[in-house]
Amino acid sequence: MVKIQRLVLPLIFLFPGALCAESVPNNSATDVIKLIDDMEELYRGDASKAEITMRVETPYYKRSMKMESINLGTEKAFIRILSPKKERGVSTLKIDKEMWNYLPKINKVIKVPPSLMMGSWMGSDFTNDDLVKQTTLTEEYNLELAETDDTYIIDLTPRAQTVTVWGRIEYTISKADRIPLSQGFYDDKGDLIRSLVFKDPKMFQGRLIPSVMEMIPLNKEGHKTVIVYDALDFSPSGVNDSIFSLRNLRKRF
Amino acid sequence: MMLTYKLALRNIFRNTRRTILTVMLIGFSLAALILADAVTSGMIKVMVESVTKTISGEAQIHKKGFRENLDIDLYLENSSTIEGQLAADDRVKAYSPRVIAAGMISSSYNVSSGAVYGVDGEQEATVSKLKEAIVEGEYLSDSPTEILIGRPMAELLEIGLGDRIVITLAEADTGELSQALFRVSGVFFFGMREFDENFVFVNIDKAREVVNIRNASHEIALLFHDSDISATDTQAVLSELNQGDIEALDWRSLFPEITSVLEMSGFSSVIIGSILFLLASLGVINSMFMSIYERIYEFGVAKAIGTKPRQLLQLILFEGFLIALISCAFGIAVGGSLGLYYEINGIPLGEFEFAGVALSNAIPTVLSINQFTHFPIYVILLTLTATLYPARFAAKIVPSEALQKSL
Amino acid sequence: MLMWKLAFRNIFRQRRRSILTALSMTGGYVLCVLSFSMTEGSYSNVIKIFTEDHTGDIQIHSEDYLTRPKIHKNIDDNAAVERVLNQSEFVRSYTKRVFSPGLAYAGNESTPVKIVGVDPDLESNTSRLADKVKQGVYFNNQPNDDGYFKAMIGVRAATSLQLNIGDELILISQGADGSIANDIYIIGAIVGSRSSWDSSTVYLPLNSAHDFLTLHGKSHQYALALNDSADVIAATQSIQAQLPAFSVSPWMVVEETFYKTMQADKEGNLFGLFIIVFIVFIGVLNTVLMSVLERTHEFGVLKAIGSRPATITVMILLETTLLAFLSVVVGILLAIPIIYWFANVGIAMPEPVDVGGIAFQHMKGEFSLQVFLLPMLFILSFAIVVAILPGIRAARVLPTEAMRG
Repeated sequence: MVKIQRLVLPLIFLFPGALCAESVPNNSATDVIKLIDDMEELYRGDASKAEITMRVETPYYKRSMKMESINLGTEKAFIRILSPKKERGVSTLKIDKEMWNYLPKINKVIKVPPSLMMGSWMGSDFTNDDLVKQTTLTEEYNLELAETDDTYIIDLTPRAQTVTVWGRIEYTISKADRIPLSQGFYDDKGDLIRSLVFKDPKMFQGRLIPSVMEMIPLNKEGHKTVIVYDALDFSPSGVNDSIFSLRNLRKRF
Repeated sequence: MMLTYKLALRNIFRNTRRTILTVMLIGFSLAALILADAVTSGMIKVMVESVTKTISGEAQIHKKGFRENLDIDLYLENSSTIEGQLAADDRVKAYSPRVIAAGMISSSYNVSSGAVYGVDGEQEATVSKLKEAIVEGEYLSDSPTEILIGRPMAELLEIGLGDRIVITLAEADTGELSQALFRVSGVFFFGMREFDENFVFVNIDKAREVVNIRNASHEIALLFHDSDISATDTQAVLSELNQGDIEALDWRSLFPEITSVLEMSGFSSVIIGSILFLLASLGVINSMFMSIYERIYEFGVAKAIGTKPRQLLQLILFEGFLIALISCAFGIAVGGSLGLYYEINGIPLGEFEFAGVALSNAIPTVLSINQFTHFPIYVILLTLTATLYPARFAAKIVPSEALQKSL
Repeated sequence: MLMWKLAFRNIFRQRRRSILTALSMTGGYVLCVLSFSMTEGSYSNVIKIFTEDHTGDIQIHSEDYLTRPKIHKNIDDNAAVERVLNQSEFVRSYTKRVFSPGLAYAGNESTPVKIVGVDPDLESNTSRLADKVKQGVYFNNQPNDDGYFKAMIGVRAATSLQLNIGDELILISQGADGSIANDIYIIGAIVGSRSSWDSSTVYLPLNSAHDFLTLHGKSHQYALALNDSADVIAATQSIQAQLPAFSVSPWMVVEETFYKTMQADKEGNLFGLFIIVFIVFIGVLNTVLMSVLERTHEFGVLKAIGSRPATITVMILLETTLLAFLSVVVGILLAIPIIYWFANVGIAMPEPVDVGGIAFQHMKGEFSLQVFLLPMLFILSFAIVVAILPGIRAARVLPTEAMRG
């Protein structure tokens, strides 16, 4: 099958709430665990809607897709492709560790089998597995905090029984704005294999959030995936459990 | 009798050069036959063992239908009962239970599909060559995170010893996603593409955990004490196991293509051998006639003074017999020493693939007792038969005509 | 002329001896012919089978698609390739194909399949695909009334999915642009057998496959059938020279493992034949030496009356070669009917044997000039070589000693 990248990543781009600079008292900010939890805390129990443009570049093709993403907590997500026309209506439903794709052309719901879990999602540098992995960073990784003048750098090393291909993840967070700046994924030897960069912070409903995420696999030349948030809604209407169902997945759009 | 023997011996060495050539003729034929048989046996042995001893074993036990699609749900639930039976059976030399599942093998750099084999390190080493195939790192030693990867796959995944591997597969029965982390503990190389590029090995307990089957296995591979798979005892073991929804097959049924090649080569060896000896016999007949012609005057005299035709017949036959003996000695010496040399060093045949088996190493020839007992006996019989025609001719010599000829 | 007469007479002087010697050479010859015919024929047969079945004599790809297939390694200039192929004197027909691994779904079942897109017309001219239709009808590239295209499917895949003619088949794969390729097809035919190489393959009409995989009309492979398969190397060179941007591979490269195995087997066979003929000629040497030695007196006389030594040597050589030639003639007569039977009927094998990845079912012989000619050259050369030493010996005879004995 297609050669793909594995990425174990806190599902930040699907759960934009995580990027929010919350109102955390600055004094206790140096507590590492709290820092990470803050980054992710907001999406626990929260609902959100986002409009995203995803650009995939490879040496062989360039693609741009617009999609709509609805989330409930960390367990449930519903993504629908809006453009290009060929793929309009292709949807992905994720509940916990399971994933389904709906393909409107053939009007079929396919459960993503384990053999495709390591396959790329929509041809991007993210895998199906990334979207599904419930990495509770604080539980499965050991954390170490370092500081520079304007950044926090968190070093995450997986625990012995944590199932991941990464030897180390380096999470860089801006002190001033309390937003993530980058994530580096290293192999066991300490080589940077892929990098996720957060750029262009913007205000979305009063929250400062990086509106662009760039994912670059460093061991594959010419590959890049860029995710741009066109809109973010943190108090969306009508988001309830019934959206995250196979029935809804199949509904004509 | 003794006189005949002495005469025969002396006669043979009268024309040493001719005798030498005749001996060479028969001797080389014998040597050629021995070597041809040795090479063929060697090739067959390599082919069969590459199947039976490398990984597959001489026989395998599965759930009926498993072999069709390698369906992970068709596992042997009462594997431990069967294993107990095998352990108690003294016709069975060794057995190894295996968990087999198709999955994705991921490293930090790349991903590949593969077949995951969960085996018990110790038992597996008694059945297959996995342990000897290790080229880097260590063999399995019961630690749950150990994994052995083939060299080509290790290159594809860009990994070395100690690197992380995540295996992703679907559990048995539920089909639920299951992932587990391993560390590359050893790299193997069988020299057989199919295994080296696609298989990975982990400890069976860990595999059972990941696939979520308790105490079960998908396959049990067996070796027998009697290496002849068609032996009644061996076949009895298999038919005892072949009950209900359990299937026990020997390698001939599991790999029919190889069986077919074996039959074919056996067949053609017989044909070539017979033709070769037929041709050699012609040379023998010729040679014997030449020697008779040289002595026709002598035979004329012998008969004239009263030697019975039968005695002449015996004499010639005896000469033939002695030549046969000497030739056999020569042939065995040549055939045996070359065979021995190649048994140790192997015949380099380049790269080859027969019946799905890649043979790229030098093939060691296989010498067997047969070659040194049966073949010489055939040679002696054949030589004697060839000598009959000239011998009868000698016996029928008419003295008056013979005495007129002079050479 | 005298030499010839002499040689002839000398052979028949010792009739029985000559006959026996000739018989062994005839036997050696026939064995060589048989063996040669077998290997040449069987392999030619098999090569013909797979090149006609699907491989073609030559294949054209982009870059190293043959060894490392990737969907993006496609041929981006169809016009250039087809122009060259249409003009080439070697090429009888060609076909274009695309490939992709995929998942096939039908009802509740799914199974991995190999998806192959072919142009129905080009394909039926170039390979045997149309003949392999077991059920249903060979497809075309027109959609049916409901707008669905037809697919042809291999036996194993059809059985796994429990498909019949007219059923719906869903295919999922990855497009060349990264999108999820998905579409519905109607099963128009089931092809091949359970053990054929394409039993897990789904064939789609090329245009539809291009759309399905977002290939924009670019294919992965051109397979060519030549007017004369024997021209394969010359054709490859000619076409490669005109299409430097692409990889042009003869079937020997496409089926490399098979080719190597075949070469090794042929070499081994030749070596074996050499040994057999060697052994036969030990016997011949015996005969020649014998006949020379018993004519020592004669040679002495010849030299005494002025014959050159060389003449004597030549005479010996001539005798032996003539005998060998006669043996071969008899051998040819014997071998012709046998080889004829071999070439047309052959030996059927109970179970197809896999040689280097290709299945052999029949051992068929080859009936050709080279099958008869090569062993003849073999035997004649051996005869000459074997006669040299005795010939020289004979030439060196000292007249005085010879005539004394």
